[in-house]
Amino acid sequence: MKKLDETVKKETLYIAAWTLILSAVMQSVFLVIGLWKPDVLFGNLISAAAAIFNFLLMGVTIQNAVDKDEKDAAQLMRFSQSMRMLMQLALGAVGVFFFNPIAAILPLFFPRAAIAFRPLFDKKAKETGEGE
Amino acid sequence: MELAIGIILGCCALGAGMAMIAGIGPGIGEGNAVAKACEAIGRQPESRGAVTTTMLMGCAVAETTGLYALVIAILLIFLAPGRLVNILVETMNTLG
Repeated sequence: MKKLDETVKKETLYIAAWTLILSAVMQSVFLVIGLWKPDVLFGNLISAAAAIFNFLLMGVTIQNAVDKDEKDAAQLMRFSQSMRMLMQLALGAVGVFFFNPIAAILPLFFPRAAIAFRPLFDKKAKETGEGE
Repeated sequence: MELAIGIILGCCALGAGMAMIAGIGPGIGEGNAVAKACEAIGRQPESRGAVTTTMLMGCAVAETTGLYALVIAILLIFLAPGRLVNILVETMNTLG
């Protein structure tokens, strides 16, 4: 088996960290508004795991695709996207059906939120670097 | 009553299927992005790390549109039928 690329590892860790932070925030909000139940936690866990695993699989696919020729790479990516979508559908459905629907759906968008926050922290890091 | 419930279930399934049409777009987009990235890495192999990072983020953003469709489909299949049938039954009971 091919070793996981350093870039993919780094980005997946970044996404996983943000997903965990945002999940903790969501759990706190549920606690504060008095709607917290164990099914909120389980829905969140299954969905957050699906989101992180989806990102990791995407990274692995990209890592493998860049070594192929253009046509094969595009096909591999399309196939991977379909399969990952099915995986998310299955895990999301389990979360919605058996646990809290809101807690099971929101974490699927946490990686997108993490990417949206990225420029803020990159800018800060850049400024700090320039000042040194 | 059974006919109305059947129509509700059918429409929910049809809606979920139609929502998933949006799932095709990200697949095509990601495929094209990766194909172009392969081309770029072929021209400049030293930029592999930077290209991979940018592409990972780009693909994740592109996939969000597919996720919106996925969420709509999940809600239409697993939540909407029950709620809509309940509303129908309540309305029928109110009307007598």
